[in-house]
Amino acid sequence: MKSFITWKNNKTFKAWVIVFWTLVWGIVSLLINKEIYLPSPISTLKAFTQLIIVVEFWKSIFMSVFRVMFGFIISCVLGISIGIVCGLNRLFYELFNPLIISIKSTPVISFIIIALIWFESDNVPIFICFLMCFPVIWTNVVEGIRNVDNNLLEMAHVYNVKRYMIIKKIYIPSVIPYISAAITMALGLGWKVTVAAEVLSSPKYSIGKHLYDAKVYLEAPAVFAWTGVIIILSFGFEFLFKYIFKKLKL
Amino acid sequence: MEIEVKDISKKYGNLQVLRNFNIKLEEKRISAILGPSGCGKTTLLNIISGLEKYDSGSIIGIENKKFSYIFQEDRLLPWSSVEENIHFVLKKDYKDQEIINITDKYLKIVGLEEYRHYYPNQLSGGMKQRVAIARAFAYPSDILLMDEPFKGLDMELKKNLIEAFISLWKKDKRTVIFVTHDMDEAMRLADYIFILGGKPLAIKEKVVTNAKK
Repeated sequence: MKSFITWKNNKTFKAWVIVFWTLVWGIVSLLINKEIYLPSPISTLKAFTQLIIVVEFWKSIFMSVFRVMFGFIISCVLGISIGIVCGLNRLFYELFNPLIISIKSTPVISFIIIALIWFESDNVPIFICFLMCFPVIWTNVVEGIRNVDNNLLEMAHVYNVKRYMIIKKIYIPSVIPYISAAITMALGLGWKVTVAAEVLSSPKYSIGKHLYDAKVYLEAPAVFAWTGVIIILSFGFEFLFKYIFKKLKL
Repeated sequence: MEIEVKDISKKYGNLQVLRNFNIKLEEKRISAILGPSGCGKTTLLNIISGLEKYDSGSIIGIENKKFSYIFQEDRLLPWSSVEENIHFVLKKDYKDQEIINITDKYLKIVGLEEYRHYYPNQLSGGMKQRVAIARAFAYPSDILLMDEPFKGLDMELKKNLIEAFISLWKKDKRTVIFVTHDMDEAMRLADYIFILGGKPLAIKEKVVTNAKK
């Protein structure tokens, strides 16, 4: 008899779990029997196959990926650099902390509405993605800097090591695990908020606009198919970044 | 020039660790400071090295002096290789080629030249401490401080490290202040042993040894 531990880690077992929940989904949709409320897995798949043959589908995906990445990269650059400064300097920390707390506690929908007033529709999702990812990265970097091994800092102090060397050889390596955790977290969040912002700002080519249109025309299978696309992309990017971190041994 | 600690006082909250403490430490000699755990030896060392501030008193003979410190723990950068750990403390004082030569020289003396590219987690506790010793000697210090550097190591290893230390020191004599609670270590290494005790802390006895001669 195979033990639970062996088949728990098995890939075929994981595939069966997915099959199980797809079946549950299929049965529930059969019971409801109204495509408009809950489309069946088959009609979702059909909607999906109809989507991927259209050029606009790929254009929209490309533009949404671009927005997520753009917002995300700005958050990384600013989050890491400002985070390091705030982690090292009490004054800067006290200056930025209330701002970060306010951003974190404001509902994302308020920001989207404000951004709709401020920016063009194409740029709203980028701004929102930045606004949501930046605090996550900033917080982790500050936390990482605060947790630097004091023993190593003392050692560097006695040996009179220059400040920039201390940052390069002690602070940065200590913070890297915090940064890679923050990046994975922020990326997942970035996808969700970017699409939410796209739904409301409706840029010409965007996943969010298609999601919204599908809802307007009561095309539930298309809503599900687009949602599936977002999930796949979000997972894909998380996987990609984890792979890169692994390769770089971060 | 000798180091003279004059009337140093240090308080942590309500705990008076040092009160008007005095000690004179000779130049280019190894002085051991022997005392029970928690008596304030490490505090004294940290005050001399400048890691901790003192409340009152003065220290003469440490102006513009450079310090090396061998801590109880190895305090190596875990993400840097053995040689990078030594390069780290030399960058400020030497050019690139000199850094490489000095690092090679001291790694050879402590018998770790083959391990230069290893990372601390690939080394045993004794090897890591030898890297820390090499780092302390590679750094162009005037004063070398040691805080129970052999603590928790087995007898054989301790003997080897003490021998490695003595051979390094004989080639390059510096003022060494060595804190320990182990009489045996102090006898083997030091020229002078200061036995501390009491509250507030004071020198109870100064012993002259001739261990290394």
